[in-house]
Amino acid sequence: MAQEESFIEISHLKFCREERVIFDDINLTIPKGKVIAIMGPSGSGKTTLLQLLSAQLRPTAGSVLIDGISMHDLSRKELYRARRNMGMLFQNGALFTSLSVFENVAFALREHTKLSEEMIRDTVLMQLEAVGLRGARNLMPSQLSGGMARRVALARALVLNPQLMLYDEPFTGQDPITMGVLVHLIKRLNDILGLTSIIVSHDVIETAAIADVVYIVANGRIAGRGTPEQMFASESPWIKQFVHGLPDGIIPFHYPAATYQEDLEL
Amino acid sequence: MIKYIAQLGAGGISFCQRLGVSGIFLFRVICRRPRVLRLTPLLCEQIYVVGVLSLLIVVISALFIGMVLGLQGYNVLEKFGSTQELGQLVALSVTRELGPVITALLFAGRAGSALTAEIGLMQTTEQIASMEMMAVDPLWRIIAPRFWAGFISLPVLTVIFMLVSVWGSYLIGVDWLGIDPGQFLSNMQAAVDFRIDILNGVIKSIVFGFVIIWIAVYHGYYTVPTAEGIGRATTKTVVYASLAVLGLDFILTAVMLGGW
Repeated sequence: MAQEESFIEISHLKFCREERVIFDDINLTIPKGKVIAIMGPSGSGKTTLLQLLSAQLRPTAGSVLIDGISMHDLSRKELYRARRNMGMLFQNGALFTSLSVFENVAFALREHTKLSEEMIRDTVLMQLEAVGLRGARNLMPSQLSGGMARRVALARALVLNPQLMLYDEPFTGQDPITMGVLVHLIKRLNDILGLTSIIVSHDVIETAAIADVVYIVANGRIAGRGTPEQMFASESPWIKQFVHGLPDGIIPFHYPAATYQEDLEL
Repeated sequence: MIKYIAQLGAGGISFCQRLGVSGIFLFRVICRRPRVLRLTPLLCEQIYVVGVLSLLIVVISALFIGMVLGLQGYNVLEKFGSTQELGQLVALSVTRELGPVITALLFAGRAGSALTAEIGLMQTTEQIASMEMMAVDPLWRIIAPRFWAGFISLPVLTVIFMLVSVWGSYLIGVDWLGIDPGQFLSNMQAAVDFRIDILNGVIKSIVFGFVIIWIAVYHGYYTVPTAEGIGRATTKTVVYASLAVLGLDFILTAVMLGGW
């Protein structure tokens, strides 16, 4: 089998928040054109990993190379140039509340291009059509449901035709219909536009349905890597507990504490 | 004992660190290549939000303060038989001190707190992070228009405060208490010096505007992204800005009276 072209390389990544080690010696390779899922329980640092990837945070040690560029060695100007090739869908959409849906999607075009108003209008409407919200272009973000806000945010993230899309918990808090729409959209857009997509999520079923490769993060390290099928078949107690949603196991249900009897003074 | 000294030292280091961060923040907002065409519409929008919407509270406060000064001044001056000096008394009080200081305090409470809360909420809802991810510098797009709008608005509001206050005292002194309007206005005109009184007052308001808006945008930008964090940041803005205004007023007055 031919060697897949590597698009992102994370080498010996270490990240600490004050005294707490969030990641310790993480190594990841992400091929081009694939949908990659990074999964793990809440608080395992998945969003932090996305922030490190996009250089919103600086690692304590190690490096992140995207398309051969070391993200954390760039000047502010170079970093902004590199980010024009990235789109990010934030957990809550992060739409600009003072701008309408149309203006939210048009924002990056107005800032980075000198397109005519007519071209901007056509481009924005095409993006909104792709996420099924062309009719909602005059609404304000406060008038949108959570799922609609996320779809608008997706259109906004894609408007500059990025090579890399980062999704931060795209399915959290969504009803089954919206979740289905989002799952379908992410996969379809990735295939049609030839993107590389990284989805950070703990929604195992939905994410596994569209991911080519799954990484499982636990205790500051990569606990497992493989196709969704390999993950579901894994005998590793940690992966097994996570992907099958078992309430107790190697990850304890109870937070570390003194014994129950001691606490109740029995 | 050692513990308290260590805590004091840590507090000092933390203060210096915050001062450094806010200085760099200010430098990055001010010292950048001007993009006048792009900035102008954003600036006009923010002048409306920060300045025009503060106008009502400033005008109403100025009117009542002018009227109270007129009443109080008349009662004191009447004892000395010099009620015709009321215009001079009010105009000098308002242009030198009350105008710049009270407008600045009102501005900190109304516009400063609103700016901190707005920017803090943008930080909490990841709007600023999303702007960064779209390769748009939030310091340019969000902070700079608000900063310059505040800087421009406060001196204008201060001049409006001065005019309305004098008008308020005129209403009380002339229309109600019967002072001769000619005496009221001519005494005021003779006593008030444009450079020493009015210009100094405007210079004070420029300094106050700079400091208030710096404190407001800094606390908004570096707010802890929680509801409690926004509340704290807003409170800090009002408290620090008010204290800074009063402290700076003393320093500026000392400098201005000391021979400038």
